Amino acid sequence: MDKIFLKLENIKKTFGGVQALKSVGLEIRAGEIHCLAGENGCGKSTLIKVISGAHDPTAGSIYIEGEKIEKLTPIDSIRKGIQVIYQDFAVFPNLTVAENIAMNHALLTGTKAMNWKKSRELAIQAMEQIGAHMDPDVLVERLSIANKQMVAICRAIINDAKLLILDEPTTALTQKEVSMLNTIIRNLKDKGMAIVIVNHKLDEIYEIADRLTILRNGENVATGPIGEFDRKRFIKCMTGRDVEEVYYRPEDSREVILKVENLTRKGSFEQVSFDLKKGEVLGITGLLGSGRGELGDALFGIAPAGEGKITLNGKEVTIRSIEDAMKARIAYVPEDRLTQGLFLDCSIQENTVAASIQKYLKKGRLNYKEMYEATQNWIQKIGCNAKSPKPLIRTLSGGNAQKMVIAKWLNTNPALLVLNGPTVGVDIGSKADIHKILRELAEQGVGIIVISDDVSELIQNCSKILIMKNGKTAGSISSRELDETKLSRLLTSEEETV
Amino acid sequence: MENIKSRLKSSDKNSMMLFLIAVLIFGVMAVLAPSSFLGIKNIQGMCTQFPEFGLISFGMMLAMISGGIDLSLVGIANFSGIVAAYIMVKMGGSPASILLGCIAAVLVGALCGCFNGFMIGYLQIPPMLVTLCGLQLYTGCGLMITKGPAITGLPEGYSVLGNGTVAGIPLAFIIFILGALLVSFLLRSTVYGQHVRYMGTNSMASRYSGINNLAVTIKTYAVSGVLGSLAGLIMVSRYNSAKTDYGSSYTLLSLLIVVLGGTNPDGGKGSAIGVLLSVVVLQLVSSAFNIMRVDSSLKTFVWGVILILVIVIGQLSRERTCE
Amino acid sequence: MKDRIKRGLATNEMIVVYIILALCILIGIVNPAFASASTVVSLLRSMLVTLIFAAFEMMVIISGGIDVSFPAVASFAMYATAMIMNGAGLNSIVLAFIIAIVIGMLFGFLNSVLVARLGIPPLIATLGVSSVANGATLAFLGSKEINKLPESFGNLSKVFIYEYVGESGITYQLTALILIPVVIYIGLWILLKYTMLGRGIYAVGGDKNAARIAGFRVVFIQSFVYILAGALAGVGGVTYMILMRQAHPQVLMGTEMMVIAAVVMGGTRITGGHGSISGTILGVTLIALIQNNLIMLGVPTYAQTFVVGLLIVVGTSITSLRTKKIQNSVKI
Repeated sequence: MDKIFLKLENIKKTFGGVQALKSVGLEIRAGEIHCLAGENGCGKSTLIKVISGAHDPTAGSIYIEGEKIEKLTPIDSIRKGIQVIYQDFAVFPNLTVAENIAMNHALLTGTKAMNWKKSRELAIQAMEQIGAHMDPDVLVERLSIANKQMVAICRAIINDAKLLILDEPTTALTQKEVSMLNTIIRNLKDKGMAIVIVNHKLDEIYEIADRLTILRNGENVATGPIGEFDRKRFIKCMTGRDVEEVYYRPEDSREVILKVENLTRKGSFEQVSFDLKKGEVLGITGLLGSGRGELGDALFGIAPAGEGKITLNGKEVTIRSIEDAMKARIAYVPEDRLTQGLFLDCSIQENTVAASIQKYLKKGRLNYKEMYEATQNWIQKIGCNAKSPKPLIRTLSGGNAQKMVIAKWLNTNPALLVLNGPTVGVDIGSKADIHKILRELAEQGVGIIVISDDVSELIQNCSKILIMKNGKTAGSISSRELDETKLSRLLTSEEETV
Repeated sequence: MENIKSRLKSSDKNSMMLFLIAVLIFGVMAVLAPSSFLGIKNIQGMCTQFPEFGLISFGMMLAMISGGIDLSLVGIANFSGIVAAYIMVKMGGSPASILLGCIAAVLVGALCGCFNGFMIGYLQIPPMLVTLCGLQLYTGCGLMITKGPAITGLPEGYSVLGNGTVAGIPLAFIIFILGALLVSFLLRSTVYGQHVRYMGTNSMASRYSGINNLAVTIKTYAVSGVLGSLAGLIMVSRYNSAKTDYGSSYTLLSLLIVVLGGTNPDGGKGSAIGVLLSVVVLQLVSSAFNIMRVDSSLKTFVWGVILILVIVIGQLSRERTCE
Repeated sequence: MKDRIKRGLATNEMIVVYIILALCILIGIVNPAFASASTVVSLLRSMLVTLIFAAFEMMVIISGGIDVSFPAVASFAMYATAMIMNGAGLNSIVLAFIIAIVIGMLFGFLNSVLVARLGIPPLIATLGVSSVANGATLAFLGSKEINKLPESFGNLSKVFIYEYVGESGITYQLTALILIPVVIYIGLWILLKYTMLGRGIYAVGGDKNAARIAGFRVVFIQSFVYILAGALAGVGGVTYMILMRQAHPQVLMGTEMMVIAAVVMGGTRITGGHGSISGTILGVTLIALIQNNLIMLGVPTYAQTFVVGLLIVVGTSITSLRTKKIQNSVKI
């Protein structure tokens, strides 16, 4: 039980002058589930890449089963029994389940020939081990996310893995799938495998972890058995400060900004109705697959609703396309900032004016000076720490970039702002800033809808929370009557209405 | 004045480099072969040669900025040239027929471009595949009209377009400059120009920013097609005939020009000035070759070598800045 | 089980089979003479070189790339081989193939450096190499066709594995050269299906990053693909020369279009990762069938480019749309 499988001492890693890891020590024991937590940019992914051999540490030593390793290459790491399951699983969509699972084994043994029969047998064996049921001959591109993850796990355990690292394995899973995954993980632990899970949702960590290590700014700030951490210490360790939790509870208003009646999109959600009053921040939540994200996409016309009525500021609007939504002054901060929200290779200025270029067309010419000034203005107003509008937006941190995505939409002067996962991958400081901005906007009379699965974010900021289950509204509750535990319970309960 | 200054400042290192190279070649040739190189004939000759592939290059640049590529441009040029020639010959070569022919050619170019754009933007078929098929299709369309041999017997008045001059400046050159100004204006001063850059950088984010990718794509390839058709009109005038296999080397040449001009092959970035300078550089090299009596097939070889070198250098320097 | 049969009947390959059958019936109705062994013989002859090109083009596309340099490379190899053989007075077929393969591999190596090592977009890189190869052929080797070839070439082109005397007394002969694509396809089939290297080609085309993480040597695999493609382009060039009994520096230029179209119609996804031997053979058959028989269907020569172009546009659109539909279908 107490055998140490992997030991890292004083690991340092610099990238062109930037210190990603300052001095990290880590001990992983066989047969334990070890959670690794930390805000974005704390060095978690760099640390994993050091363990998997993808990055060479600048300094420090690595011991595997007591033996000092001088240089760890990816293939060495695999040979030593270390397997990493990345967030995108790194499976091959164009190959079959069996081949995906057996591929690593074949590569590891160095065979030159492909043995289809053996692949199939290996795959079936691996699936039996974790209790997964998939057709081994089906192409992986046809699988759901949860099943793709199963393929990745099967592939990892097939070569007598001794250490399994899962990088944020639960982000894309439904609650049911998470508990299935936890069962599998516990099973593997009982077989003596060491397991490292990267996660920063405290509830999920409590559920599964034996020990916890928290990283901040490239250093490990705390490590110990899970029992030693309570919520307060956890947040303190993550952020380095005590975060005050403020609650937004505006006065009741009668003025309705947005009224949605019986909105339906076949296969995504049905008969969704709600209204949003002036000054309110409406939260929409639900587990993955509940239709919460699809509802946001529908309001912005990306995947428009087929039926239903939307009334915005007393006028009925039909949203069939993104153009319709823009005309109705609806703005949308999408879920995936990197691919949907940002033009990474464009400057901050170009990103800020991307949705409102028309505004700068004066006398048949574009006025770049005005764009520059507007961007500068937004940088100050929204509290982004950029020095000028000129640098590429990829130079900003996640939190600051997200602020500029919001600024992009505020620059269109929206009547309704829908935010899908507004603070995913945003550090706690910027998170508080963003929440403050949203509250101010709501007070100014902009309709704000926050789609999120972050329970504390919802409770703190939303005056009303709409819970979705299986594409239907399960209930709409004033957050005065809620606390985090109650909301979590409502979310995961089997009942259709709450 | 302020405007010009800021423009000079914004023109990147790449353009400066091209400008220096152009000056250098010009200087070297002026010293080596002053009589033949600096002669008014040679300069006029140069100015009538590059408009064809220069216009095609601007079309290619637009497509590349949008994140695609347009391999069908030569096909469009020949097809629209053939349509123009057919109309002129059938209508007896009156001035009206020349005008009508030109209008029809531009329309053909725009239509072919719209078709490309529709296939790429609406059906989401990779641009490379669409335009490669398009090349075959438009060449086929042209062949349907010519039935093989070249269309000849064009009205005499029409040869002015490719060979005539206005105040000593070749007409084709003027058309080229107008095309360059149009593209430059589109990219710098219109909403479309910004949208096409956004789309080329990240088409998903541009959609999520309310940009109508389909409309932008169709516009891009339509403009590209129109530029192709203008090149076709000039070609027909210069050769005094229309055929489906003229200008077959222009696809590669235009790719070379566009990449040399600093356009990012992955989309999103590109400057009209860069491409303009790059056209000039290539024409200077080409003229220098001609004066030194270098075989034309050796040019193909050299173009390929330059293309590879330019991309390799660009790639290596990009890797260095990334590190 | 029923589901599986249903799925089996709706694969890309089967759809091409249906189209080929429909086309054969159509041509057969218009021209009853179509249904004869002579049709097969002439079809095979016209497919021969295209088959070789399509084989490696499929492999390159599966790996996530594209190679448009092969016509120029094949021409260079063909022309240079003819010159070397004539110049040195050599007469060995095997030697001719070896020379052509080495030349092809050199160009393939150039492609592989550009694409695999430097990460240059494959289309642009291979277009550049195409220009270099074609320009070099014309500028350094020559631009006139060579009709005087070593004797053994002529002898080989007169070896037939099947002869058939038609009713009108005309003899149809199937050249033994058809064995070259047959051997290539069998070899490629084994490579792609039964070796880890072959599966690596699929893996790289499916997800380059995942392949790297899994431990595939991505640069090696990509290099292998382009170098093998170059070698086979050399084989294609020499085969063409023997078949046509002349070496021509330009005649193959422009064939990349047809070859890529045939590969894509055969179900190979242009975005990489998918493609099969049988599909490619069917794709080539379909295009050869169309090209060979348009005249029989009453399409005049000058309209053929257009009709073929139209069919390619429709064919590639359908395959692209089908791919999109599969990708958007409900996940299990």
